[in-house]
Formats: sequence, structure tokens, C-alpha cells
Amino acid sequence: MAAVAPPTEPQFPLPKVLTYPASTPPSLITQGAEGRVYKTTHLLASRPCALKYRPPKPYRHPILDARLTKARISSEAKVLERCWRDGVPVPAVYAMDPAAGWMMIEWIEGIPVRVGINGWLGERPEDGAETPKEDETPLVDLMKRIGTAVGALHRTGVVHGDLTTSNMMLRPRQGGQLENGCAGDEDRAKVVEGDVILIDFGLATQSMSDEDRAVDLYVLERAFASTHPRAERLFAVVLGSYKATFKKAPSVLIKLEDVRLRGRKRSMIG
Amino acid sequence: MDITKKKRRIALGCEGSANKLGIGVILHEGDDLSTSTSTVLSNIRHTFVSPPGTGFLPKDTAHHHRAFFVRLAKQALTTAGLHPSEIDCICYTRGPGMGGPLTSVAVAARTLALLWDKPLVGVNHCVGHIEMGRAITGADHPVVLYVSGGNTQVIAYAEQRYRIFGETLDIAVGNCLDRFARALQISNDPAPGYNIEQLAKEGGRVLLDLPYAVKGMDCSFSGILTRAEELAAQMKSGAGKGPDGEPFTGADLCFSLQETVFAMLVEITERAMAHVGSNQVLIVGGVGCNERLQKMMELMATDRGGSVYATDERFCIDNGIMIAHAGLLAYETGFRTPIEESTCTQRFRTDEVLVKWRK
Amino acid sequence: MTLEKLDLEHIPPAYQVYAALFRNVSNAEFLHAQLLSRNSDFEYAFIDASSVISRLHLLSAVYSAVNVLLDGTLRTPNVHSEIVVSMNISNNIADAYRRWGITPGKTKDLIVVKVVQPPTAPQDDASAQIPPQQAIWDHLKEHVQGTPTPLTDAEIAQATEWPKVRKYYRLNGVPLLDRLADPQEKLRQSEQLAIMGMALRGL
Repeated sequence: MAAVAPPTEPQFPLPKVLTYPASTPPSLITQGAEGRVYKTTHLLASRPCALKYRPPKPYRHPILDARLTKARISSEAKVLERCWRDGVPVPAVYAMDPAAGWMMIEWIEGIPVRVGINGWLGERPEDGAETPKEDETPLVDLMKRIGTAVGALHRTGVVHGDLTTSNMMLRPRQGGQLENGCAGDEDRAKVVEGDVILIDFGLATQSMSDEDRAVDLYVLERAFASTHPRAERLFAVVLGSYKATFKKAPSVLIKLEDVRLRGRKRSMIG
Repeated sequence: MDITKKKRRIALGCEGSANKLGIGVILHEGDDLSTSTSTVLSNIRHTFVSPPGTGFLPKDTAHHHRAFFVRLAKQALTTAGLHPSEIDCICYTRGPGMGGPLTSVAVAARTLALLWDKPLVGVNHCVGHIEMGRAITGADHPVVLYVSGGNTQVIAYAEQRYRIFGETLDIAVGNCLDRFARALQISNDPAPGYNIEQLAKEGGRVLLDLPYAVKGMDCSFSGILTRAEELAAQMKSGAGKGPDGEPFTGADLCFSLQETVFAMLVEITERAMAHVGSNQVLIVGGVGCNERLQKMMELMATDRGGSVYATDERFCIDNGIMIAHAGLLAYETGFRTPIEESTCTQRFRTDEVLVKWRK
Repeated sequence: MTLEKLDLEHIPPAYQVYAALFRNVSNAEFLHAQLLSRNSDFEYAFIDASSVISRLHLLSAVYSAVNVLLDGTLRTPNVHSEIVVSMNISNNIADAYRRWGITPGKTKDLIVVKVVQPPTAPQDDASAQIPPQQAIWDHLKEHVQGTPTPLTDAEIAQATEWPKVRKYYRLNGVPLLDRLADPQEKLRQSEQLAIMGMALRGL
């Protein structure tokens, strides 16, 4: 008879809401400074959702902690609702309890855009003069979809606050299958197919300022440079479709020049 | 003699970017620069204290530094038991800081260099704090929270620079505390922040509602100061009531201010730690002496399975030894500041310095 | 028996939720009067089905109310009234009763929800012997004059009055909906916007 391994203690205590029974046990997806994300279900076993939980911070005064947690869950939910109503591709809000520090949002199937881009780039040789230019259309199309999504976001009056290719999902279109990474030769393009959905609005704010929008683009540009150095040259395509989507893009792009020059940060007196 | 071949290397450091004048002497010992030890031979400080309700003005502070420089320099040498001939270089604060006081000390340091015929090394004040903090605590690769009257930055080292991940968007946290102390006529002796900390221990019956201003890894303190000053004025006029409807005290205000601004600092530090994947925090700068801040940081770090490194007032508060230490580190890599370039500057960002002495 | 037991995710096993749909109800006045007089035999959520889009829509309100009950932060007398106010997107309780509650002379199609809570005091023997589902159903059958109907999306859809729903959930002039041509897709998105509005109630 095989020995039965003792049940392992979860790394973190579950939020109270997840201690009640569900058809499948919740699984921890990410753990960041902001909080934790679990995959679980909303109402029905057939309705997957992400539960975002901001645990109490032991260093904060309890009154301040409660106030901040509540305000931040509420503000994130409000931003998502605003985006959703305007047709910006974001997860829908299913349920929330700001005082308890959680909200359930739509589960987005698929892979992060980061994984898709690197999946595409992964099998390709380094850029070299000799290599004949291959057909990059699927990758360029993805860049366009990213620019469109960010343009729609800014048009709505929301800045994301942490735009990276990890904070965007590639959701397979109905009927299409998207497998993590290893695509066969004939469907290499599959890794960069799908709808771009923006996620993780924990640092988002409602803002119409060119400066805030430019910083959003700059952060994305920096993320491109560090995560996909070989796709950095295609960032211009992102900005191109951003411009095509968002009427006020030209002044944002001028501001982006300034932000690039000073590297986001201001000069400062000692 | 080639400095890298010397077994014992000694620097004298001069600091005066704000209201503290500090002169210190440090000794680096060992054949290999990467394994050499640091010993504080002397660390002398004199603080310009302004009357309650006032801040220190650049002109008066510069005068204080000029008046005390010679006395402190002599004392630093005597305590270290050294003759000027044994010193390898003179280090001074190039910036950032207040123009007048910086200039006084730069002129004095230049004078010493010419008088004793020693090379000069201009040092970034913030880098001085970081290097001294690392040397004292042994923190190897920490996220640094640098908090003082003039600076509020969250810093991490990467590729030979101390990179700023987050900072204040307006005034420094120490400046916020100092100015709040004026509103309550709290004594500036030994330091307004210290007196706020002591007073806060008597408060805490209520937490007064102050704005909480964190944006990503940046934060802002001017709105909080304005609100705290308003509450102080209400309290004095007898109209101030806490959330429980009862009058609040100055101690309650100090408590609430500390709880709010320190929570902000810990939050942006935690975010930077998550970002760079570090579990060590080093707190430097005058506000870093505050035990409540250290405690809160510790609660955060423990929660993340990490640890906090902090120094006491000898090294947290501006001092000469940190300038000597960081200056000597640069000097050992061949860095010099020629006399004709030995200026100082009010603006000098931490990430402008090429940190050649680290891999 | 068309009283359905609803198995919702994340609800403690000691709590049971039952629901039923009655069409062509003729005694709304009587049922409303029982609520007004706080008749403890009528601890139900009576919901006007014409303001409901789908099962999912309804269940969202039920879950929200049960969660509030578990939190101990009820804003209304009990979990049943809390279900009714949970249908709303604002905190206006009177509005919620008027829009989603039972209205004499108006409510024709009625959804009834019953949340059975763990007993707070030891039960007496008589009530312990009857399975709650049967007891609830017997009581409803006796007092609700209407046609018991399975609580399906199709039946709810027959009762839904869209002009009202669009007004209550501010669905008019929403760019997302205006862009959609497919009626099924439009319904799904409207349902989602309603659920989102309820989740964000009062924000």
C-alpha cells in the first residue's frame, strides 16, 4: 500500500470567501505586492472566474488598512466597469466585497501576450542581414491589436498604470485552439492569434492627462525593450494603430517624446 | 604610491548638505578591494538647531558650517589619532542639498586638499548613505529606502547604477515632518522628527483621516502636510474633533501622520521589492532612525520572508563618515575630482553616479 | 415539485437556497400584505420576474445577499429583503422594492427565493421531521395563486420586460450594446452589464 502524502498546507491562508465549498478547489495563480489572484468559480461550477484578493497588510494601522483595501477594490472595479461599458477589452466584474478585500472577475482563457510573442520569436534566428525577410504578418497584426486595445483604453479615460505584455492576454477566438508555446510548423501563426484583453488594473486610474497616457505608453515601450528586444522595432506598429484608434493620440505621442528624454523621472532638488 | 597596492587606505569626509556639519575619518584595510574591511576612526557631527516654529535657512546654516568646520576637522583628526600626512584623500559632498551650506563645506574641503596636498573626491550624498548603510549592516543586495529632509527615494542597484524605482513627486517625507513640527511648535532639538516620534507614542486613541498618496512606486506628501496643518490649526482653535467626536491632541496628530506617511513608504518599498525580486530592505537617511518606521518595515519584510537592515542615528543622520567611505570606494577605483572641477550642485541624482566599485 | 434547490458555489453547506417561478399570479396583494405585516411564515424573497433577465442574473443577487449575510453586514431586515435590494445598482432601498419586489396590481410573474439558514436555537421535533424542501413547497403551493413553472432561462425570458430592465440597469446608449447586432450576444452582454452594475452597487 502506498503511503499517502499528508495534505500540504496552502502557502497563504485563503480569504474567508474561498473557505466555503466549491466544485473545484481554488488555485493560487499569482502573488504580487498588490495581492493574490486565485482561479475559482462564480455561482456555477461551469463559470470560472479569477478572484482578486488584497490581504490585510500587517504593517498598516487597521483603520487605514481597511480604508485603503476597500477604496482600491472599489476603484479597480469601477475602472473595469467603465472600460466594459465602452467596449474596451477587459474582464467583466462578477461579484465583489470591497470591505473583505476581494472581487471576482471574468476568467480570461488563453496565454499572456508575452508568451505569444516569445513563442513566435523563439524559433526564429537573430535578426541578421543575410536572413531573408520572412512573413511577419501575424506578429505585426498582433502589434496592431495591442495598439487598438490601448487606444480604446485611453479614449475611455483610463490609464492602466502597469502596461506590460504580461498584463495582456491573448484569448482564442471561438473555435480556435491556442496551446501554450509549442505550435507545430503549419500553425506557427497560432501563437500570436486571438483577441487582446487587458488585465490587472490594480494600479489603474481614471485620467485624461496626456502626461499619464504618455507614461503608460512609455512603460509599455520599456517592457517591450526588456522582454522582447527582438520585437522592439515593431513598437512603432503599436503606436500606429494606437493613433488610428484614439483621436487625441498625436498630443500624447508628443508628450511621449518628453517622457522618453527624461526617462520618466524628474530632476530633483536634494 | 598606487592606492590599489596600499594595504591601509584612509579618507577624511566632509558633509554639510543640510543643517548637520559632519566630518569623519574611515580606514579601509586589506589587499583585495573586494574583501577589505572598513573601520570608523572618527565620526564628529554638529547640528544647527533653529528655534521651535522655524526651519533652518540656507544663509544661517552656511554660516554655522563655516564657523564650526575647523573645530570639527581638528577633533576628527585627534579622535582618529592621525596626522594629516596619513590621509589618502579628502572627500566632500558635491550634492544634492542646499546651495549655501554645500558651498561652505566644498570650499573648506578644497582648502584642506590644497593645504595638505591631497586629492579631492566629490561624493553624491545619497550614494554616501547607501554605501555606509551597506557597510554597517552587511546588507548585500538590498532595496534601499532613502528617507531624509531632502530626499525620498526607493532605490535598487543594477548594472553599476543605483536606480531610482520610486520617489516623491513633491516634497521629501522629512520635510513634511519638519514643517508639521513647526505647525505644532515642536522643538527642533535634537531633531523635529525625533520629537514627533516621542509625542506619537502618547497618541493613537484615534487615527485621523489624512490623504494617502501613492502612485505606483511614487508618492506625494504635500497634500498630507496641508491637511495635517489644517488639523493642527483646528486643534489650537479648539474646534478639532476626531472620528469619535472627541477633541484630539497633538500626540494623536503626530501618531496619525506617522502611521499614514510610513505606510506609504513601506508600500512603495514592498512594490519595488516585488519588482526586483529582492527580500532585503535597507533604510537610510535621517527619517530612517524612526523606530516606528523600522518596525513597520520589519512587519512587511517578515510577511515576505525577508529582513530589514537599519542603522542608528550615528549613520542614519547625515554624517561625514559616509562621505569618507563612499568617496574612498570611488577613489580606490581611480576616481578623482580635480580642484578646478570641485564644484557642488543642488541637483545631483543618485542614478547619475557610475558605481564602479560594484559588479 | 417545481421548487428547485440551487447549488451555488462558495456557500456553506448549512445554508440551502430554493427557488421557484410562478406565472400568472393572481394574489400579489395578499403576498405583499404578508411582507408588510412581517408575517414570519412568509420569509421569502418575492421578485417580480419582469425585471429579471436570466437565472445567472437572479443567482448573482442571491449570492451577493448570502455573502452579506455571512459577513454580518445586512442593510435590510433579512437575507430575503437583501436579495431584492441586491438586484439594484444603487443603494436606494425603496427603489429596489418598487422595481424588483412584488407590487400589488402589477406583479404577474413571480420568482420566489428561500434561503434556509442553520438553526440558531435547538429545533423542536415537529419541524425537524419535515424535509425543508417539501415543507417550503407545500407552503408556497398553498399560498401563491399562480402557475408553477420551471425556473429556466426560456421561461424567465418570456416574462422579461426589456424597456424596464434597460432603464433599471442603464443599458440605453451603452456603446458596447449599440455595436452588437446579434440578439443572443446582445442579451448576454446586457446580462453581464446588469450583473456588473449589481456587483458595483452604490459605487
